[in-house]
Amino acid sequence: MFYWIYDVPSTTLALLITGAFVGFSWIGAVLIRPILRAFLRKRADINDLIGYMLSCFGVFYGLLLGLLAVAAYQNFSTVETIVSKEASALSALSRDVSAYPEPDRTNLIWLLRDYTRYVVHYAWPSQRKGIVPQEGNTRMIAFHEQLIRFEPQTPGQEILHAEALRQFNNYLEARRMRIFSVTTSIPGVMWAVVLVGALMNIALIWMFDMKLINHLFLGGILSAFMGLMIFLIASLDNPFRGELSISPAPFEDILTHLMEE
Amino acid sequence: MHPRYALPSIKTALGLALILTWTCNLGCEQLNKTIGVLTKPKETKETIKLGILHSQTGSMGMNEMSLRHAEVFAIEEINDSGEFPKTEFVPVVKDGRSKSDHFRRRARDLIDVEKVDVIFGCWTSLHRKAVIEEMDNPSDLFRPVGFVGNISTKRHEPLLFYPLQYEGFEAHRNVFYFGSTPNQQILPAIDWFLSVQGGKRQKLYLIGSDYLFPRMANYIVKKYLESRGIEVVDEVYLPLGHKDFGDAILKIQQKSPDLILSTINGDSNRPFYEQLYKSGIRAETLPVLATSVAEDELRRIPPEFVQGHYAAWSYFQSLDTPESKKFVGLFKKTFGLDRVVDDPMEAAYTQVMVWKEAYKRANSSDPLKIREVLEKGLEFDAPGGRIKVDPKTHHMYKKFRLGQIQLDRQFKIIYESKDLIAPDPFPAFAFPGWECDWTQGGLTKGPIPKIGL
Repeated sequence: MFYWIYDVPSTTLALLITGAFVGFSWIGAVLIRPILRAFLRKRADINDLIGYMLSCFGVFYGLLLGLLAVAAYQNFSTVETIVSKEASALSALSRDVSAYPEPDRTNLIWLLRDYTRYVVHYAWPSQRKGIVPQEGNTRMIAFHEQLIRFEPQTPGQEILHAEALRQFNNYLEARRMRIFSVTTSIPGVMWAVVLVGALMNIALIWMFDMKLINHLFLGGILSAFMGLMIFLIASLDNPFRGELSISPAPFEDILTHLMEE
Repeated sequence: MHPRYALPSIKTALGLALILTWTCNLGCEQLNKTIGVLTKPKETKETIKLGILHSQTGSMGMNEMSLRHAEVFAIEEINDSGEFPKTEFVPVVKDGRSKSDHFRRRARDLIDVEKVDVIFGCWTSLHRKAVIEEMDNPSDLFRPVGFVGNISTKRHEPLLFYPLQYEGFEAHRNVFYFGSTPNQQILPAIDWFLSVQGGKRQKLYLIGSDYLFPRMANYIVKKYLESRGIEVVDEVYLPLGHKDFGDAILKIQQKSPDLILSTINGDSNRPFYEQLYKSGIRAETLPVLATSVAEDELRRIPPEFVQGHYAAWSYFQSLDTPESKKFVGLFKKTFGLDRVVDDPMEAAYTQVMVWKEAYKRANSSDPLKIREVLEKGLEFDAPGGRIKVDPKTHHMYKKFRLGQIQLDRQFKIIYESKDLIAPDPFPAFAFPGWECDWTQGGLTKGPIPKIGL
């Protein structure tokens, strides 16, 4: 629903989310605050009461935001590691097969090149749209068929072949994990809780009995920080989408290398 | 009024105004960008799906990968050219897995699920016939998973563009054949060998893999030679993938032919040429004329085994024209400097470009409109030279070229037909009573020939 945010540059998105929170806080301070205070002004200790309430609420909400930010960052790092691992395995595999005798060597290199080109030019743009790329699997089957067709003739080739098969399995594992990560994101229900929590936080600020300018200043700072936190989580969520996403650079490097093989 | 609820003082209002102005100035540029992104009209590019149906896995996977690359290369070239700024052509690639059933199943996917208007695909005649069968008579057996439409009702009818040279004896209203027919490939090559230039050879030995193309091609060759009073000393067929040619070579030596016509296909070519070489047969004394050995096959055969032998095609990578050089250069740049280009790949590329040309003229991807444009005899400058669609048979007018294999795994073009040769999928000497003219009456059938399969 909110995937359009990944089409917006990061700086702009940060300002947009922060601005929206601050704006919302300020509008409420001007328009809703007088209504709320009409109910609460009879109590002399209302600021203390709201202060306790806000502290208590802030701890839980802060924990939620903090944990979410850490989880999003960890998820991002994990996917980044998976992609690095996949690229390393692919690179090692390409080195292994480049030592095969002809014509198997050329066949295997061409198949790897075909696969890598697909990843860079077709799979990655699909991932950026949140679509799980499907065609890579067929290309991997083609490579596997060609690899197992090779019959080693010398002890050296036997070792090389065993190593290539091992690297291929490593590669498949990493690739599968990357594919699973394409749709990884924070569940919608969590986002709902985060947004409702932010609203409640701001509403509590509106209840404070103080001058408008103080309201605007203190409420603005708190709202801006909440906006920034939410921007951070949103940016790190969906690791393949947006400006702050995992790039296909490792695969591009391998493709360049394979093209020169 | 209680002082708490008084309107903000002048100082407060000024401060507020200052903060607002500062914030606005700070975010103005970013805000403009954001508004730009948010209010930018959605991409209005029309997407046209182009079906590509080749084997990516199985025994034909490596061969057909090259055709898929040539077709994707053409599609990317069209997209990058900016010729159609409001249209994006998207290749939808399916794997036939080198099995007829899978070709039928994937054809159904392309027709019923992807709703493509054109399919570029197939290599073997078996697979092409399977796809045509599925286009004509959709079977419940190959219904795509989850497809809920009624297959018995009028279906979407895409065109099939087929890039390989083949045996002929086929015509279909929705199929366009971009490879050569025997009268454009095999027969002109035989003519050359019968001529003074080719050594006036009179004793032909036919050897081939045991499937439709070699059987049908050799049937046509025999009928042709019969009509010219020339002898075929013997013919032999061996299973696809056969590796021991000892007996076959012994028979060749016993019969003492002066030309071997080889329709051996696939991986059998390497052992065939190797054993031929080791038995002492050399191209100078007994040349082999191959119909299924191109540059892509040559990279799998040590060049000393094949040097001096011949192959008949319409296009060779070594063709020294600016169009061919540009095609080869760009293909290598895109898919790797060690890649080679051959006749089927050139035809695969050309068929996409011809479809694009027809799309441009029809201003639509509708199969009927595209067919209409093609049936007007569209001409196109392909990397191998000008080709022309034959409205009667849906085959191409093409040139014939004869190449001699060199040590660098390339062909030296030693003969090229002066003009384009008209396609004849039903040569009268081989298929009496058969005719095809899609502009008038369509296909006229005669007696079915017995080819021995």
